[in-house]
Amino acid sequence: MPRKPKESAAKAQPHPRKRFVTTKVEVEGREELKIVELPDIEPTPWDEDAQLTIVGTRAIRADALEKVTGRAKYTADLHRPAMLHAAFLRAPVASGRVVRLDLTRALALAGVRGALVASDVPGIKHMGAPLFDTAIHWAGQPLAALCADTPELARQACALVDLDVETLPHAVTVAAALAPDAPRVKPHGNIPRNQPRIATRGDADAAIAGADVTITRDYRTPCALHTPIEPHGSVAEWIGDDLTVWESTQGIFEVRSNIAQAFKLPLNRVRVMKDYMGGGFGAKNYAAANTFTAVALARKLGKPVRCILDREGEQTDTGNRAASSQRVTLAANRDGTLVAISAEVTVAYGYSGWYASPAKIYHEMYRCPNVSTRETFVFLNTGAMDSFRAPGHVEGAFALERAMDALAHELGIDPLELRRRNYAEVDEEKNRPYSAKHLDRCYSEGEARFNWTHRRVEAAATRTIGARFRRGVGMASQIWGAGGGPPAYATVRINPDGTIDVLTGAQDLGTGSRTIFAQIAAESLGARLADVRTVLGDTERTPYAGNSWGSITTASVGPAVRVAALQARAKVLEAAAELLDVDVSLLSLVGSVVSIAGDERTMTLAQVGRKLGEVMIMGQGSRGANPQDTAICAFAAQFAEVEVDVETGRVRVLHITSAHDSGRIINPTLAESQLEGGIIQGLGYALFEERVMDETLGLSLNANVHDYKIPVIGDVPVIDAFFVASSDVVANHTGARGIAEAPIIPTAPAIANAVADALGVDVGEIPLTPWRVLALLRR
Amino acid sequence: MRLTVNAQEHDLIVAGHDTLLSALRDQLELTGTKLGCGRGECGACSVLVDGRLTYSCLTLAAGCEGQSITTVEGLGQPGALHPLQRAFIELDALQCGFCTPGQLMAAAALLATNDQPTAQEIRSAMSGNLCRCGTYPKLARAVESAATALRARTSEGRSDAS
Repeated sequence: MPRKPKESAAKAQPHPRKRFVTTKVEVEGREELKIVELPDIEPTPWDEDAQLTIVGTRAIRADALEKVTGRAKYTADLHRPAMLHAAFLRAPVASGRVVRLDLTRALALAGVRGALVASDVPGIKHMGAPLFDTAIHWAGQPLAALCADTPELARQACALVDLDVETLPHAVTVAAALAPDAPRVKPHGNIPRNQPRIATRGDADAAIAGADVTITRDYRTPCALHTPIEPHGSVAEWIGDDLTVWESTQGIFEVRSNIAQAFKLPLNRVRVMKDYMGGGFGAKNYAAANTFTAVALARKLGKPVRCILDREGEQTDTGNRAASSQRVTLAANRDGTLVAISAEVTVAYGYSGWYASPAKIYHEMYRCPNVSTRETFVFLNTGAMDSFRAPGHVEGAFALERAMDALAHELGIDPLELRRRNYAEVDEEKNRPYSAKHLDRCYSEGEARFNWTHRRVEAAATRTIGARFRRGVGMASQIWGAGGGPPAYATVRINPDGTIDVLTGAQDLGTGSRTIFAQIAAESLGARLADVRTVLGDTERTPYAGNSWGSITTASVGPAVRVAALQARAKVLEAAAELLDVDVSLLSLVGSVVSIAGDERTMTLAQVGRKLGEVMIMGQGSRGANPQDTAICAFAAQFAEVEVDVETGRVRVLHITSAHDSGRIINPTLAESQLEGGIIQGLGYALFEERVMDETLGLSLNANVHDYKIPVIGDVPVIDAFFVASSDVVANHTGARGIAEAPIIPTAPAIANAVADALGVDVGEIPLTPWRVLALLRR
Repeated sequence: MRLTVNAQEHDLIVAGHDTLLSALRDQLELTGTKLGCGRGECGACSVLVDGRLTYSCLTLAAGCEGQSITTVEGLGQPGALHPLQRAFIELDALQCGFCTPGQLMAAAALLATNDQPTAQEIRSAMSGNLCRCGTYPKLARAVESAATALRARTSEGRSDAS
């Protein structure tokens, strides 16, 4: 029986390299220099040949049982002792000034406990304006909050506020805001000072002038609303100087930082928690009016306060995907090779928000030596723009991919073939390689599974003269930065009973991060998946991880989880070696069982844990740096077949095939769920979704989920969404890239291209509502 | 008033304007049923009232005296899951989970009257329940699978009896 040498003096391992290094970190196309803490170990990358038994399997979603039994607690489900409820009084006009805001009658109502106005929250901003500003910049802007024993009473109190408003002229459309005598949305004017934003490479004008073929088209995309079924909400509770906030958020640490800054609190006195949340899609990245109101009222009234938005508030004051208009010129050689792309983009920005660039994808998607884009964001008296699932790219991809089809039509080239002829082997925008790119396989596997050529012929056969139902087929491609990156941390603990906790400050928005972190930890540690539990969403219990946005969570946090689990594994094996009195190099750990090479004895993790007693086996992991000067992206090709009823104008999507390259897939079932979800959101954007503003009144006409149409189950086509097999070991040692945003990007253009194919007309605008389709047919 | 929820009787004091949803959530702390819009548009508040699919946000609590209410908590619990709940778990028919209780109740109402629904009948019966995560393809599959499981259970029950 092998015995270890007895003189095992612990050898101090000197850290072989610098622990902290400066590196470029990129999120949603924006690069920053950041200090990164390198992990203690550099694990062997899981390449395509890695023998993995838990990662890559279709494990059941870790929190599915909680969700199907109604036991999963969302923010609004929390009952704190003596909790009060807040509601907002909102601006009834798009532009104006509060002349009188008298709370006397509201506060006199039995059960009403207090109110907040601007003077209670000095220096705190919401959507680019002081919270409860007396200057009104958009309809729906919060003007005051009332707090009462029940939500109904709080709302009733809002209706009792005596409010006099002086109405001022507003601009809720780009045309109104750019008119010569337009009202000023911002003091300095309606266009930001540093605009238009111009980005160029090569000389697009010269290339267009000398090209064989050019096409110019105009495209318009609507203002779309995130519409999570769970509205924004917060519960705040003070115990002494310690504040706890339960928030429906995509970023607990971001919200903690926002609160600490707003109320000038030390970070270690603010705890933000999020266990379950009912969808975010980019709208829940920061503390907002609901957060600040709950915190300020809880402090003022000395009781826990819950502030949940009602549906109208959710649909008017939580951000949006701004409407855009895009004039695109493509120039090509006769063989379809692109020689220039030029675009003039105008974004109906709103009062403030996130500058999501529709133009960016023009620089990234195809090989093209000359690209020139000009973008102007126009301030309006409407709610702020915010990040919304692939912000900018969804809007830009619609126009670019429609224009590619128009060019294909002009040249008489198959649209898929045209895209293949303009395949970008490197990231031409920044002149750097991709970590890996298998878009070519997405094209070929998607083409085969969709049966592209055959379906095109079949669809054409339905388009006979007088036919009421006409079919059409279209496709589109996409690219999206999906590398993730530092900082992100994880802790893995082995309990005395052999169960394992994975702790990390990430969020699970329904994406499945709880499940996949458990899979990564179990695989790395050698544990049974059933013994691993992931704890997320608590700034006090878990180490830092960033917002769950930008398709970064898996690729950012996954590697940190792996490092933490490997470290815990190394420690538990050292402890087992001591218990078994053998050399650690002879030990292995699989399925929560420690075994010895050449020895029949085994110990389960539970046996090791019991022997160790309260010795805590704990691994710490951090996310190392990304490879420098390398683009890490998710790619996809999407194919759609539609049927248009030319009598009613109704478009029905029949079939979507969606082929994705996102590197290694940790859990195919959950990943496919995300693909299907992104496709369905894209279908809504293509066919129904549009915030409608009354230009005269300056108000939204569909701030509810009856008139703002999102897809229902009956709208859903056959969806064949899949991944081409790969592992991106250049990106990080798990081989995984992001998924969440890729599927929404090519959906609307693929559907619009199919509608254009069905009708034989140019489709320049979405959503393709029946009246728009009928208007196209009249042309 | 007396409200029968998940086969248990509760004596409650409700105001005339209190909705069934607020009685369930705020008084009985049955928070599985969700508030998504408050206008009967999203379906997150769906429950069964005497077996009938009902938007609890548009139903007055006082009007439910003497009726039998079933919420997701009454559909099944760990260890005794309803076939629908089992199918939702196995086929991943949920993402964020917020609309899930309402989807389950809509599906339960369908299967109670139609144990062999066609794909079109499922789409039609479930079209009043919004899911922004877009879990619809898996929802449809899960309802179909649960229907099969329920039929198998019923026929087993019959053969046991015979």
